[in-house]
Amino acid sequence: MKNNRFVERSITGALSFFKDAIFADEEALKKGFLQARDARLKMLMVFVLILAALFSKSIVFIAGIYAFCVILALASSINIIFFLKRTWFFIPLFSLCIALPALFDIFSPGEKFLSFKVFFVPLSITKQGLSSAGIFFARVLTSVSLCVLLSVTTRHYVLLKALRVFRAPQVFVMTLGMCCRYVYLFIEIIQNTYMAIKSRAGGVFGIKNSQGVVAWNIAALWQRSYVMHNRVYEAMLSRGYSGEPKVIEEFDFTYKDWFWLGTAILILGLSLWQNHYLN
Amino acid sequence: MAKPLFELKDVYFSYMGKFPALCGVNLTIEEGAKVCVIGANGTGKSTILNMLDGLIFAGSGSMKAFDRNITSGVMSEPGFSRVFRKSVGFVFQNPDAQLFCPSVKEDIMFGPLQLGVQLDKIKKGVDIIANRLKINNLLNRQPHQLSIGEKKKVSIACVMAVEPDVFLLDEPTAGLDPATTRDIIDILLEENMAGKTIVTATHDMHIVGEISDIAHVLGRNKKIIRSAVPDEILLDCEFLKDNNLVHVHRHMHDGRIHAHPHLHTEHH
Repeated sequence: MKNNRFVERSITGALSFFKDAIFADEEALKKGFLQARDARLKMLMVFVLILAALFSKSIVFIAGIYAFCVILALASSINIIFFLKRTWFFIPLFSLCIALPALFDIFSPGEKFLSFKVFFVPLSITKQGLSSAGIFFARVLTSVSLCVLLSVTTRHYVLLKALRVFRAPQVFVMTLGMCCRYVYLFIEIIQNTYMAIKSRAGGVFGIKNSQGVVAWNIAALWQRSYVMHNRVYEAMLSRGYSGEPKVIEEFDFTYKDWFWLGTAILILGLSLWQNHYLN
Repeated sequence: MAKPLFELKDVYFSYMGKFPALCGVNLTIEEGAKVCVIGANGTGKSTILNMLDGLIFAGSGSMKAFDRNITSGVMSEPGFSRVFRKSVGFVFQNPDAQLFCPSVKEDIMFGPLQLGVQLDKIKKGVDIIANRLKINNLLNRQPHQLSIGEKKKVSIACVMAVEPDVFLLDEPTAGLDPATTRDIIDILLEENMAGKTIVTATHDMHIVGEISDIAHVLGRNKKIIRSAVPDEILLDCEFLKDNNLVHVHRHMHDGRIHAHPHLHTEHH
């Protein structure tokens, strides 16, 4: 029944990752530096820092921004192991794989840094290749880390509301919020359905049957979400919704928030100035 | 005699045109009344409440509310629709359908915001309601983090925030523990004392006597087969058995199994 476990583990693993990644509030509820910042200005600050990392052509400068990000995580009482696990897995590792070919003289001709042979084929890593792959990887790592830092230090619904700072339409933000709300509900339904199947069938399914159950689950979930969509719309109508949502926007920022946004803008300015200076 | 708020005359309704849900319902609900609509599963209780809330409309027959014939056209009139939504609050059976905002506070504020109530007034109202329902600690929580009882209370809070004249409640105590059930009944009774009309659809016979002055029973033929004071209905054991509203209770007495219908007229 190894195959069956594979399907089951894939589904439960994906669901619990999704739940933890989006809905876990433990870190956002801690009393820390970033948790105390206004969500809108924090989002702007992160956006500006990402721009600084993307515009910079110096790996040292990007590493500096990454170090700043790690310091912010520490100041926000984020468990550093959790933070590094979350940021170093998947995207940065994938981007490293993507950047790997750029190291070699086949794709990045230039000054040789290291030469070796693979199955009698001579290969060289060039300084130019090393530099461009390193910068690419550093930019991805820094950007991902800043995004993760923003998401773990802000409750997800506050984060969605903060999107209004980028002039996202009210109806878009509201719909996104409702999506998150119901995604969670449907995740729970899927998990409960699997528990129910397990309690009745005892997990004795072959791979084909498991795939059948998954397909059936998708269809059932589709139907449930359709019914729920109608009920939610009726509940909105019942409370006076008439097509134009009105939602409260409560944020409160202090001079500290502006100070840190100013710092981020200064770093972006430094990045642009450095580019100009290096050229 | 109090003014009739809702009048359903020979109302028929079917879902998708092929699944009949109401077949010739006649019902009048007066201002300030406490009314229960009782019936077994699938007899049309929720359909009646949906209709009273102007969410679905009679296929044939007519429904009047606030002296207007309620049709989809009338409910599309912005002026009347706003007055209607301000006057009638509906607590849905499934709180997950009702609580669609990312936080409890936003959910409670949603109704008054749509109806154009001033922000200061809304904020004050939220505090008062939260105190009354003892849900202050839940305001910044997300609805998915709440227990079923908490969700029900928050659903009621969402409706109370609109300050409606009529409360429609679909199975308000289903699946709740006794203490939460008690809290919810007390809230509804207080609202009724304040002059609000309470219409409850339920098959929880424990609460019928308390939350209604008159009970309307929906039968399997999907029409109202009896309307009377709750005690009269609750004591009619044969009638209740015929309509799946009472169960035979078996327990041991002096080593012998003893069976009798479980009645709900006396509290013990």
